[in-house]
Order: sequence, then structure tokens, then C-alpha cells
Amino acid sequence: MDIPEPIVTVRNLSKIYAQGEIQVTALNQISLTIAAGEFLTLMGPSGSGKSTLLHIIAGVDRPTSGECLVQGVDVTQLNESELADWRNQNVGFVFQTFNLIPVLTAFENVELPLLLTRLGSAQRRRQVEAVLDLVGLSDRMHHLPRQLSGGQEQRVAIARALVTDPKLVVADEPTGNLDSRSAQEVLGLLQSLSRPAGKTVIMVTHDPKAAAFGSRSIHLEKGELTR
Amino acid sequence: MTLSSFILKNALRNRRRLALSISSVAASLFLLITLQIALRELTNPISDEGSTLRIIVRNKVSLGQPLPARQRQVLEKIPGVAAVSPFTFYGGLYKGDEKFTSFAQFAVDPLRTRELLADARIPQEQYEAWVASQTSCILGRMTAERYGLKVGDRVQFTGQIYPCDLDLTIAGIYQGTADDRNLMFHQKYLDELLGNPGTVGTWWVRAASIAEAPLVTERINRAFANSSAEVRAESERAFVLGFVSMWANIKTLIGGISVVVVFALLLVTVSTMSMAIRERFRELAILKALGFRRRELFAFILAESFGLALAGALLGAGGAWVVFHQLDIQKLTNGLFVMFEVTPRMMGLAFSVAALLGVLAALGPMLTVVRTSVVEGLKTLD
Repeated sequence: MDIPEPIVTVRNLSKIYAQGEIQVTALNQISLTIAAGEFLTLMGPSGSGKSTLLHIIAGVDRPTSGECLVQGVDVTQLNESELADWRNQNVGFVFQTFNLIPVLTAFENVELPLLLTRLGSAQRRRQVEAVLDLVGLSDRMHHLPRQLSGGQEQRVAIARALVTDPKLVVADEPTGNLDSRSAQEVLGLLQSLSRPAGKTVIMVTHDPKAAAFGSRSIHLEKGELTR
Repeated sequence: MTLSSFILKNALRNRRRLALSISSVAASLFLLITLQIALRELTNPISDEGSTLRIIVRNKVSLGQPLPARQRQVLEKIPGVAAVSPFTFYGGLYKGDEKFTSFAQFAVDPLRTRELLADARIPQEQYEAWVASQTSCILGRMTAERYGLKVGDRVQFTGQIYPCDLDLTIAGIYQGTADDRNLMFHQKYLDELLGNPGTVGTWWVRAASIAEAPLVTERINRAFANSSAEVRAESERAFVLGFVSMWANIKTLIGGISVVVVFALLLVTVSTMSMAIRERFRELAILKALGFRRRELFAFILAESFGLALAGALLGAGGAWVVFHQLDIQKLTNGLFVMFEVTPRMMGLAFSVAALLGVLAALGPMLTVVRTSVVEGLKTLD
């Protein structure tokens, strides 16, 4: 049996926030390995450090100590500019509140990360149309976010996360603002991205039903892994 | 979609606020240009080719003190002097004007006027008619047009300085000088009305060449030094600037107002940009997360701020240019301002101020982008 290569390796990761004179430990010596193609769910109560861990893996936050290797690159050692390039090429983000740009159409929102690449407009168009087709929104590509339902908005956000073809997709409570039917659709979509499509998906959730869509689930409490 | 169309869409997202902000910038720059033109017109005497040759000779004690008419013989013999004429400011009130007449009336020697007002164009027969009739006058085109006056019309003035009134017939209309507003009549006519006092207000002297003009000025001053009527000779420009200096701190006042206008403009632009960026704080965090670097976000902010200021400048400075080219400012201001010209320098000033504002207004939001991490920005979302 083949053991999948780890895409994420976290070693002794700690994050301490200073709030005035008080120091808050968000993550305490976390070590973790995530295999390529996994759909990992991070669970835990509010303030347990799950979003902090997700942010560090995704390269939008820096740890106080420890290593975080993603595809062999220690993201904690990259400078601001290198990190921005790295995120653009390697990470797709899905947020709870969708975070689409309201003045841009679904097509333009999805195209946004590609503006940082050297792709021509025809190639960009092909890629955008392909991912919008993948999330089932080919017929809504010229709609503004306000003309879409919550579930459709989140599918546009997923298309935006996928358009640069990243290996890693991070989702922070992606179903938190959705009704149960839309949530099922979005979770099904994220699930289909993992093993069948070869993406690694890391999702933060409070919801055990949502966590059930993942291939593995880990729990955090007070900044430590509990199981 | 391109990055520029993305910037444009962002800038246009709140169209009412954008329109109001651009209008504020435009109105402020319009006001700034208007103030600058007014300042220029008040402090920079209009000059033409002849003004570099003309010298005004006045009583050293004060402008109000007359000079003896006998000085003319001395003046005419000074080397470098090409022509001499009395130049007496009558300062009368034109019939119908209640408090202020916006054009000056000067008593001169008509025979010397052509040499002194070399830029003036007047038909030969009109000039000859003026020379021939002691109660006639010539009038600048601007004033003639403003009052609807023509050759042959009679004009009456009530004396405000001299105890006599004038009843003159227009013999000719001149044009081509830098200030075609004045009326000129015979000094002899004024002398007769006043009982031949043997005085003139000032002397109007033409130097033979530009190079000699300063020397002639010096010679005139020296010629009457230690006489019973010492004189002060100065170039026409210096003479006019002497009047301007009587306006005290007009420069400081207009300069001060201009600074306030620019400061108000800065506050408007900074406020607009701050609001625009605060509204999009979360989106900027998302853009950062998607891989946009600081320099790209800076470019977005700067382009938007700069665009706003530039649009305001186009509207304000361009508007000023169009308005002041179309309006008859002399008529509107009762002759206080003549040209009211928007110069390329003023347009440059307006656009430079706008460009500077664009950059300054972008600094605050740019600093916010630098200081805020993606996580902090994302925290504002939920």
C-alpha cells in the first residue's frame, strides 16, 4: 500500500499573542502531518486555535516558533513579498462570508487571482470558465454577487480558490453562513476536490456533520491537539 | 478584466460620493485659479512694448502735488528723451456713474500722444480731428464698447479732484494698447477750465531706447534735484507697482486664502479616500490573501486617489479656462479686471496641487495597508 507524501508538515508550532501585558497562547507546540489529497477537518471550540493553525499553514499568519513546511517550503521563513507570491500559486482560500468583491461579476471575481499571473486573457477566460463549470455556475458567470444566493456565492468563492490550480485549499467555516442544503452542496464539492482531484483540503468547522465529509478530523483545545 | 478596469470599477462603486468629491476638488481648484488670476492682475501691471520706454515723472513730495508746467522745456532737453507730454489724472465721475468710474481720464498733449502711445491704433482722420478740437477726446475701445459710445458722442464728467467739469466730444476710438480703457483729452482744455494755473499732474516721457530708459530716469531726477519742485521719475511699471503697494497686504491675503483653499481640498480628498478604503478594508485583506502584494495594493489606492484629484483638476481648472475665456470679465467687474487670463502657469499650478493632493490623500490608506496583516483584516469579516 502506497503511503501518500505529506504536503504539510508542522513541527513544534507555537503562536503566542500579546494583548497588552497579557500573553495568550493560541497554539502550543503543535506537530502535525497532512498527506496530499487529504480532506482534513479541524474541529474545536472557539478560541481553541484552529483558525490560527489554518492561517499559519496558509501563509497569512506567522508562528512565534516552530516550522511549517508546505510542499517542502518552510513558509515561516518567506518574506512578505515571497509569501504573497507563494499564496497566489499554492493556496486557495474559502471563507465563511464568501468575501467576493461586490462590484465584480462572478467571472471577474474568479479571474482576480489570475491577474497576478502572466496568463493572457484568452487563457484566463478558459481557466475561469472551466472552474465555474466545475462548480456548476456556467450560467451565472456574469451575475454580480448580490444577484446570487449564498450557496452560489460560496461556489464562486470555491471557483476562485481553484482557478490558479493550487495544491492546497483552506476553508474557514465555509458552511457557517449557508442553509443546510447549500452547505451539503458546498461540502460535497470540497470533498470532490480532495482525493479524486488531488487537492489537499483543510477545513475548519464547528459542525460534526460537516466534519463527517472529511477523510480525517483532528481536534484542538486550548491550542493543543487532543485527538 | 484588467487591473485598470478593476481600479475603475472600485472607484465607481459609490458614484454619488465620487461625484461630490470630484466636484469639491473642482470647485476648490476653480477658486484657487480665480484667486491666482486676481492676484496676478492686481499685482502685475499690464505691460506692452511701449511701457518699457515710458517714464512717469511725478512730484517727489507726493503724487497729489502738481508739477510746474515750465519743467517741460528742461525735460525735452535731457539727452535720451524722445517725447514729453503732460499726464494729468482728472479723476472725474462719468455721467450716470454714482460713486466710481472704472476708466481713467488723462489730460495730455495730443501732438505727443502718438509717440508716447506707440501701440495705440487710431484712424488718421480721427487723430487729426482730436488734435484740431480742444474740447475733443479719444477713448479706448473697451470703454467705448462697454458704454456703447461712438465717435461724435458727447461725454460729460463731474470733477472729483479738480473744481471743474468736462464736456467732451469723442473724436476717435483707439485700440491696441495693453489697456484700452482710458480717455485722453487736451491739457490745454483743462488749463483753461482751471484758469491756467501753470501746473500739470505728472509728466509722461518716452525714452529714445530701452537701453537708455534707466539712464534717462536718472538724468531727470538729477535735473530737478534741489529745485523748488523736485521730481521722482520712474518707469511706468514701477509707477503702477507703487499703486499696488498701497493695497497693503493683498498678496498675503490672497496667498492666505489660497492656502486655506488647498488645505480644505486636502481634507476633502483625504476624507474621501479614507472612507473609500475603510469600506474596502476587508476586501484589501482578501486581495492580500489571494496573493496581491503591498505594492499592487498601493498602486490601486494611489491610482484611485490620483484619478479623483485629476478628474477634479480637469473639471476645475478646465472649467476656469473655459469660463474666463467666455465671460466678459471687464464688464462683470465694472472694469476692475481687464484680462483675467488663465495662464499655462496657473493650469500647471492647479494640476500640480491636484497631483500632490492625490499622493497625500493616498498616504494614510497606504499606511493602513502596511500596518494591517491579512489576519487582522480577515478578523474584521466575522
